[in-house]
Amino acid sequence: MSPEAPTPEDLVFQAIAHPARRQMMDLVKASPGMTVQGVASHFSFSRIATMKHLARLEAADLLVSKKEGRSRKLYFNPMPIQGIYDRWTSEDSSFWAGRMADMQQRVEQRAQVRNKKNA
Amino acid sequence: MVFQVTIQGTLADVWQEITRTDAPIPAFFNNQMHVRELKAGSKLAMRTTSGKYTGVVGKILECDEPHRFVHTFRFTNFDDPECIVAYDLKEVDGGVEFTLTVTEAPEGTKTAKQMKQGGTMIVNTLKSVLETGRPSFGTRLLFVLFKVLEPISPKKCRSENWPIDGE
Repeated sequence: MSPEAPTPEDLVFQAIAHPARRQMMDLVKASPGMTVQGVASHFSFSRIATMKHLARLEAADLLVSKKEGRSRKLYFNPMPIQGIYDRWTSEDSSFWAGRMADMQQRVEQRAQVRNKKNA
Repeated sequence: MVFQVTIQGTLADVWQEITRTDAPIPAFFNNQMHVRELKAGSKLAMRTTSGKYTGVVGKILECDEPHRFVHTFRFTNFDDPECIVAYDLKEVDGGVEFTLTVTEAPEGTKTAKQMKQGGTMIVNTLKSVLETGRPSFGTRLLFVLFKVLEPISPKKCRSENWPIDGE
């Protein structure tokens, strides 16, 4: 591989850098087997543009597509994200970071509920 | 649920690692696969190394060496319906594209939750074993824990309750 060629990790970071592509990952993760048309229906840009974004996600292995009958179904693949997580997270830090993230989520949820009540 | 990685190895090695019956399979939480014959229709059981407890049972649906292995999958300690697990192997540049696909695990069941957490570990451990010769340190620690906890496994998981063909 030449020095200029992007590594698999580069492809992941490039893919998730775009907010629309992150939203596409959310959609497919929430609805495994979503079709390209299904994804495109959530965006105002063209189907061709959607397909280009999906191709970037597939090139990074963040989405896996399977041809089922006449349609192409999309599935979220957590493995590249897991690889990034493993690279910078040790056994100890994953334990404490996980607990801290849980605490943050709980505190923020409580604050949201309180704000709604006060509104 | 889909989990996909590229493993630096050969199709034959990956196939052997997921279908071996002569030793525990690290990618399957160090359980040993028991099956009379590796062909569609055969019952299989994933048992602890002592053979006393069975964690998972299923029936082989497809066995197309070295490309595709599909079986039903049921955790013996849950009352959930069985789901289907498919392993697809494809030769690509740099190794083997390995895809684990779990279908028919109803959302919200204990099985779906376990598979979401376990899928990543299965695929990662398989990659680690084939590329480095052993699972990660954390996974090896987990195996020690499993061994320590084996005697307190539920009685319903005892292997005599989950015979395979010919037992």
